[in-house]
Amino acid sequence: MEKRGRRSFLEIATAFIGGILGLAAGIPLIGFAISPAFKKGESKWVDLGLADRLKNSRFKKVDYTFTAKDGWVKATKKRSVYVTDTGNGEWSVFSRTCSHLGCLVRWDEQKESFLCPCHGAIFDKTGAVIAGPPPEPLRKLETKVEAGILYVKET
Amino acid sequence: MTIKQFLNERLPLGEFSAHLRKPLPKHINLLFSLGSLAMFLLLLQAATGAFLAFYYSPSPEHAHNAVTYISTEVPFGAFVRGLHHWGASAMVIIVVLHLLRVVLYSSYKAPRELTWIFGVLLLLIVLGFGFTGYLLPWDEKAYWATVVGVEIASTAPGLGDFVAKVMRGGAEIGAVTLSRFYALHTIWLPWLAFGLVGVHLFFVRYYGSSGTPKNTPEEMKTGKPFYPHQVFEDVVGMLILFVILAAVAIFVPVPLEDVADPTNADYDPRPEWYFLFLFQLLKYFQGPFEIIGTFVIPTVGMLLLLFLPFLDRSERVVLWKRPIALTVTSVSVIAIVVLTILGGASKKLETTDAAVQETSQPTEQIQEATTPDTETEEVEAGEDVFDFQLTEEEIEGAKEVEEEPQ
Repeated sequence: MEKRGRRSFLEIATAFIGGILGLAAGIPLIGFAISPAFKKGESKWVDLGLADRLKNSRFKKVDYTFTAKDGWVKATKKRSVYVTDTGNGEWSVFSRTCSHLGCLVRWDEQKESFLCPCHGAIFDKTGAVIAGPPPEPLRKLETKVEAGILYVKET
Repeated sequence: MTIKQFLNERLPLGEFSAHLRKPLPKHINLLFSLGSLAMFLLLLQAATGAFLAFYYSPSPEHAHNAVTYISTEVPFGAFVRGLHHWGASAMVIIVVLHLLRVVLYSSYKAPRELTWIFGVLLLLIVLGFGFTGYLLPWDEKAYWATVVGVEIASTAPGLGDFVAKVMRGGAEIGAVTLSRFYALHTIWLPWLAFGLVGVHLFFVRYYGSSGTPKNTPEEMKTGKPFYPHQVFEDVVGMLILFVILAAVAIFVPVPLEDVADPTNADYDPRPEWYFLFLFQLLKYFQGPFEIIGTFVIPTVGMLLLLFLPFLDRSERVVLWKRPIALTVTSVSVIAIVVLTILGGASKKLETTDAAVQETSQPTEQIQEATTPDTETEEVEAGEDVFDFQLTEEEIEGAKEVEEEPQ
């Protein structure tokens, strides 16, 4: 009886110490791996160029680059947007990234819509979903004009 | 139906449990936990290594900065790298102690020769992990220790040059070397290690523990059961070992020297402490005798170790009745310890010449050849980079507007 009690104690103690070891090693390892998910993204204004050059634009595709820290490297990132001059010094800039699963949408002048080549999404000229699976409209980037230069906010 | 019932109907859990509860020899001591500790360290190295790989990039342009990034910016990074680095040293110590325990108690003798051979192969794998692992940070130590290590391999008669070129992946140490050392360290050696551990463990369980020489044949199966008694002692040992490793990982920063520089003649190359004995040994064999230190002694020593059970076939198991085994083991251990101490204490080279260093003016062609063919730029540790200030050229590039076809 006493022997069985000792054996049970050893079994429980072994499992307990094993659990402690698993947690002591596992928590830092998991934290190490998933830490990028908790890193706050930075948002900055990106220079798209002189506003005059984009004056009267109507859904013009603009590709631009900027540098940002990517882990241990300073990487050159590329982005693509559609720019429309809405008048009165205001601009409408749509991200080309489909709000469904990230493919790049294309502006169709005849249909006056943004079309996604992946899953058939269609957005109207305000970015609202007309058809297809996207749960939300196209992302509209914040803009500002300073010293004649058009900026968009990268997040 | 409970989960236990479900599994019992499908798996031989009862047989497995009975096997785990088989009694060990009556006389057994804490030294018999060393094998389990080695196994624990192998798993810890595999886990920490697998996680470190999330942030590592095996290229000369990125490796050093990636390791710096891990150590300084990733949460728990310094700790995880510390566990991996100091765990490697602990692994060498534990594996060697395990080997000495086996020699001390004659556990390598019949019928356990195969268990021994696979154990020695595992020792070689552990040293292979060490050698391939410390190139990965791509710092001065990594580079120069690998230069020397590969040169040692090149002295092997006949195939030496070929082996060295295969190890380097070319004529000199560079991107291809780093890439293949990374592949060896993270893919080839782990697969090999776990395969050999599987075979080693199979033999350990199949032949059973040898116990200490005190055991009479009748006492070989009258001791405490492996589970939970021995396993309990093993996990307590693992916990103590982990606490020590964690404390070292927290309080002793893992060294990371400057990025590897093949032109840095001021650097005094030194290997990791567990290769210092070999480093020191090489100093005693000069000129035509170099090969004795680089090839003959290590190869003969390893072959003697590998085939020890066939060289020592006597049935005597008590150490003091085995004078040759006692002498050879003692001399070998003392020699390795002394050589390690001498290697560690050897003074670094001090030159008295007032050497004038000249830096050549690079030509345009040389600059082109050394410019990394990437669009990225290395970032200093901790540098906050999110720079949107574009150059004039970049602004011009951004203004390139394409009209969609009508």
